[in-house]
Amino acid sequence: KCSTVHIMSPFVQCVRTIKTSTWWDEHLSEDNVSFMRKTVMEEYKQLTTDKLNPLKDEPWPRHEWEENSRRVGLVAVKLGMMPVWTKTGEKHVVTMLQVQDCHVIKYLSKDENDGRSAALIVGAKNVSPFYRSEESMDIFRNAGLPPKQKLTTFNVTNNAIIKPGTPLYAAHFRPGQVVDVTAKTIGKGFQGVMKRWGFSGQPASHGQTKTHRRPGALGPGGDPAKVFKGKKMPGKMGNIYNTAFGLKVWRVNTKYNVLYVNGSVPGHRNCLVKVRDTILPRLLKKNNDPPFPTFFAEGGEELPEDLYAEDMFQPGDSMTF
Amino acid sequence: AMACRKVCQMVQRRLASSAAAERLSAAELRSWRSALFSKEQNRQRSLYPRIEKIEVAMQGPGLQGTRLVMNKGVSTPHSCAKHLTEWHVSSAALALVDGELWHLHRPLTRSCILRLLTFKDVDPQLVNQAFWRSCASLLGQVLDDAFKEEYSVELLNVLEVPVSAGAFCCDLVLDPRLDSWSPSEENLRSLTRDAQQLIHKDLPWEPLEVAPPVALEIFSHSRCKQEEVEEIAAHSPNGVVSLYRCGQHVMLSGGPLVARTGLCCQYEVTALHAVGEGQWGLQRRAQGLSLPVNLTVMRNSVLSNSRCHNLCFVLFSLKEFCFMQYVDQDCLLDQNCVSVSMC
Repeated sequence: KCSTVHIMSPFVQCVRTIKTSTWWDEHLSEDNVSFMRKTVMEEYKQLTTDKLNPLKDEPWPRHEWEENSRRVGLVAVKLGMMPVWTKTGEKHVVTMLQVQDCHVIKYLSKDENDGRSAALIVGAKNVSPFYRSEESMDIFRNAGLPPKQKLTTFNVTNNAIIKPGTPLYAAHFRPGQVVDVTAKTIGKGFQGVMKRWGFSGQPASHGQTKTHRRPGALGPGGDPAKVFKGKKMPGKMGNIYNTAFGLKVWRVNTKYNVLYVNGSVPGHRNCLVKVRDTILPRLLKKNNDPPFPTFFAEGGEELPEDLYAEDMFQPGDSMTF
Repeated sequence: AMACRKVCQMVQRRLASSAAAERLSAAELRSWRSALFSKEQNRQRSLYPRIEKIEVAMQGPGLQGTRLVMNKGVSTPHSCAKHLTEWHVSSAALALVDGELWHLHRPLTRSCILRLLTFKDVDPQLVNQAFWRSCASLLGQVLDDAFKEEYSVELLNVLEVPVSAGAFCCDLVLDPRLDSWSPSEENLRSLTRDAQQLIHKDLPWEPLEVAPPVALEIFSHSRCKQEEVEEIAAHSPNGVVSLYRCGQHVMLSGGPLVARTGLCCQYEVTALHAVGEGQWGLQRRAQGLSLPVNLTVMRNSVLSNSRCHNLCFVLFSLKEFCFMQYVDQDCLLDQNCVSVSMC
């Protein structure tokens, strides 16, 4: 007659039927029971987390927003301008910036960047790979993305780093936040001192001989006996990077990825601009609790097509006088 | 009772040890299969110790009357193309030897008439089909490599999908622990990136015709692959199984593949969804889209994913001709439609 043993025992014997009914911790001591409970819980948690990322390259951890954390910005295309009204009837002008194919291309750690903070390189607007050299194609190939027209670097804090290859959308900014926009200004070519520096020139008549738009005196006189460095003089104007600070976001369209940003922005139509959260200290509190590190489209939250700022007049609203 | 217990312990230990020996890690398995493949390749090459000459007549535009003298069992259509021009080498995707489809890197064994097929021929049907098949096996290779070591991946038979269906697919069965997992956008992006890196390495597909026992030995760790080998051997006319190797990965194929991975361009893995319970577990289908290198869509366009639940059409417009393929919700292959964006 074969002795019947419980299946949990370590001996492999012929088990005909389970005649003894017992529970799993009957023969274990108290310490062993608590140990088993703990290890089984940890193992299950491990399995479930592994199940979420079975591929070799795992998604990077996403942290929560804190004070003094800086997150990525976007690169957008300047479309044009249009008027916008507040609920009290004041008219403002906004610039429309569309985010086209914006992806994070590369992550630079603090040491690689400049020793102060980590950086993320972001690119926008796909271009043809056939007119790019092999070396420039390298970073795009590592990220698995088509080559981009513009690449910019954003200095970020360590809790805001994003995996290269993630797309960035306009919903990264919400209405009510304040942004800075950097772009290359329209090039005016070689310009005189009145247009370039705003000098007033000389009168048009009353005896002026051949002097109407000239700079006039160049400095003090005999004591320095020189012209100081940095004297404002005619030269090439425009086509340099300039930043517009403290622009409020009035509206965000999630379907076409368009940001409606207050005021004007440097650059011509269809130029690529760099948009980031403000660094002006007075307006920092407007940017509390943004989508951090960025807005992920597969996060599951469905945003309405248009997000409006609170004091903006929406078409279809009624106004009472 | 004591003797019984001792015997049981020994039996268990022996069973455990043999099970561990069979369970090689994925990387070791790949290198083992690749080593066997190389061994068989060398053995087949050594069947021709003396160099014998064969005459190959070339057919094609501008090649009338060209006759090349090549080595038997050593020269391939690729080496014939190298005798012609660089354009022939880079554009040739498949070869027709006496009317029979021949892989570009497969050695020629007799005097024959050779025609090199490119993607821009008048009738590219065969080449397109071979291209679709090679993209599917590339997808299988990428999936095989992409999962962590502790999860088992079984690639099933590559389906013969016509080019007009809109996507090529590869069936696979994952570890049972992953039954409730479905890939996120980020996972698909990383798979695409792996595939694009493989394409950039421009690895050739090396063909090998082997007898069924050799193929069974190469795939001895996978019961599913062995059954496939037996099936292919039963269907093939001369009982030979054709294997292909790309890099370190050895695969079976139902037909000839294109010459090298560099011929694919704009490769995207578009979806991975579950199809149903199969013989080996929950079957999943991975779909992808790709275009040949000299037929990419005009200028700056890029294959991009877009979530579109209605009818969505994929437009390919090439210099010579235009064909539209539509992929809709009822099509059993597709869940994520792919749209081409011109920018």
